[in-house]
Amino acid sequence: MTLDTLFLQIVSGLSEGMVVFLCAMGLTLILGSLRVLNVSHGSVYMIGAYFVVAGNAAVQALPGHFYIALILSTIGTAIFGGIIEILVIRPLYKLEHIFQFITTFGITFIVMDLVKIVWGGSYYTINAPAYLQGPIIFHGFIIPKYNAALIVLGIVLFIGMQFLIHRSRLGLLIRGITVDRMMMSLFGIDVARLYSVVFMIGCALAGLGGALVAPISAAGPGMDVTVLIKSFIVIVVGGFGSLGGALLASMIVGLVNSFGILLIPKAAMGFAFFVMVVTLIFRPWGLLGKPIRLE
Amino acid sequence: MPANMKPWMITSLWPKIVPIVILFFLFPLFLDDSALSLITEALILALAGTALNILLGGCGIVSFGHAGFFAVGAYTFGLLLYYHLASFWIAMILAILAVILYGIITGWFVVRLVEIYFALLCLGFAQVIWVITSVWYGVTGGDDGLNGIPIMNSLYSVGNTYYFVLTVAGICLLAMYLMRESPFGRYLHALRDNRTRAAFIGVNTRQSIYIAFVISGFFCGIAGILIVIQLHSAFPSYAGFIKSGDFLFVCLLGGMYNFLGPLVGAFLFIFLTFFICRYTEYWPLFMGLGIVLIALFFRGGVMGFIMNWYRARKVKGGC
Repeated sequence: MTLDTLFLQIVSGLSEGMVVFLCAMGLTLILGSLRVLNVSHGSVYMIGAYFVVAGNAAVQALPGHFYIALILSTIGTAIFGGIIEILVIRPLYKLEHIFQFITTFGITFIVMDLVKIVWGGSYYTINAPAYLQGPIIFHGFIIPKYNAALIVLGIVLFIGMQFLIHRSRLGLLIRGITVDRMMMSLFGIDVARLYSVVFMIGCALAGLGGALVAPISAAGPGMDVTVLIKSFIVIVVGGFGSLGGALLASMIVGLVNSFGILLIPKAAMGFAFFVMVVTLIFRPWGLLGKPIRLE
Repeated sequence: MPANMKPWMITSLWPKIVPIVILFFLFPLFLDDSALSLITEALILALAGTALNILLGGCGIVSFGHAGFFAVGAYTFGLLLYYHLASFWIAMILAILAVILYGIITGWFVVRLVEIYFALLCLGFAQVIWVITSVWYGVTGGDDGLNGIPIMNSLYSVGNTYYFVLTVAGICLLAMYLMRESPFGRYLHALRDNRTRAAFIGVNTRQSIYIAFVISGFFCGIAGILIVIQLHSAFPSYAGFIKSGDFLFVCLLGGMYNFLGPLVGAFLFIFLTFFICRYTEYWPLFMGLGIVLIALFFRGGVMGFIMNWYRARKVKGGC
């Protein structure tokens, strides 16, 4: 394998990892703050991808239709997430975890079939905007422009989320409800609405991830389970609740996956899985998690 | 139950159970083949569901990957017979050993985690099995599956298969019931209700969960073997996400906290799929809706509902 194909693999792995990072970031936000593991998060990601395809088709005539479709898709996914939160998730907060998983697991099935009913079982893809197509040639190395943009965007969003969580008032409120929900409501904060907002932010991130992947991968059945497992691997490897860990782990998982495809295509996920198993043996709290016992 | 009392001494149970068992043995006399096949399917599903319920209702632990055990049992048995590598009974014993091995290996990793991590890691392992069965086209037939697996000659008739499945499932259910009523079963209930407290009174929680996991998988794998006997085929979907969802749904529908819950749930499930699948291909949609509604409003499932109704009636009668 020559050096430039190696480089290409690295770039494609990192950009795929970034898309998983967006989904995992939303997942870890919901898990960390609301303490609900949203098993249907992969479905939200898939909805984002389908929404961007539909949105792109709808606004095809307008200039900048790709960006408009992205924004529409993200907002649409957030609204979708909000509806799920109000209808299904709200009653779950006071139930045992077992019912939270089972219910969100059920949502996965519902969304899976709803998507099949509306869009059928085929795969859809859209074109990236013209100036993001094609490669950048850098000292003889080929970098596809879209993938490079994804990597940059991922890092930008990571910095943005860190700002949001640590330096904004909303972030302060989110950190507050993470620590003590009851106390926050005693301060007069509308905690239920805040929970919905956090859930919607998490879903928006996942939807954005799904939307961004549509030009390079395809929107189709099965993408929800794949990204869910990858996001889960990312959270375990990176450390539960840690955004930086999620970023690091996403990059690792993306790279492992992309090199795994070179070796055994359909079993590529097995390699990422192997990374998770290794992490569980030697460092169960993840790379950047707090060294606590997971029991 | 007092300490010196053995489970089979619960004499109040026998009048209720024995007639039902006898009825099941008499079904082939008046039911036709298609009905018998459905009941066979339901029995296999009930076995798998009760196996999952050892963890779900018994330990309070969710697993999204029990289909892995099901597929390991089915494919090991199926492959050995398909390539004529072993005779019927040897293949069965080897398949059982494979399932136990799968349980021991995956269990070692899985018990290190709690709650959702546990559930998703089980899913991950099941996905690995799914990938192996669908990718290894040359050996497993990929998505087409293994078809026309040769089984013991006498088992090609629907009636004989029914009796075989009934006997095996019945023995397994009895074994699971005895385990549930044993001290070990009580340990599992204790760590379901309050794991920290159970640990403090001396229950080795991690080891108990490990053992329960392997046993649960063992019975689920037997269900996988039985389905190969019934359908003479094995498909990668046996390891899939949806199959695990079926098992979970069956436990939830029938009632997790009652031993007979998964059995009731399995029969209801087969009944529902039979009718709903006639009208629509979108079965996962209905199953998902069912799961959500039951988890929100009917957490005890059908058996829970019946037990509550029964208890309420007794109270009214008493007054």
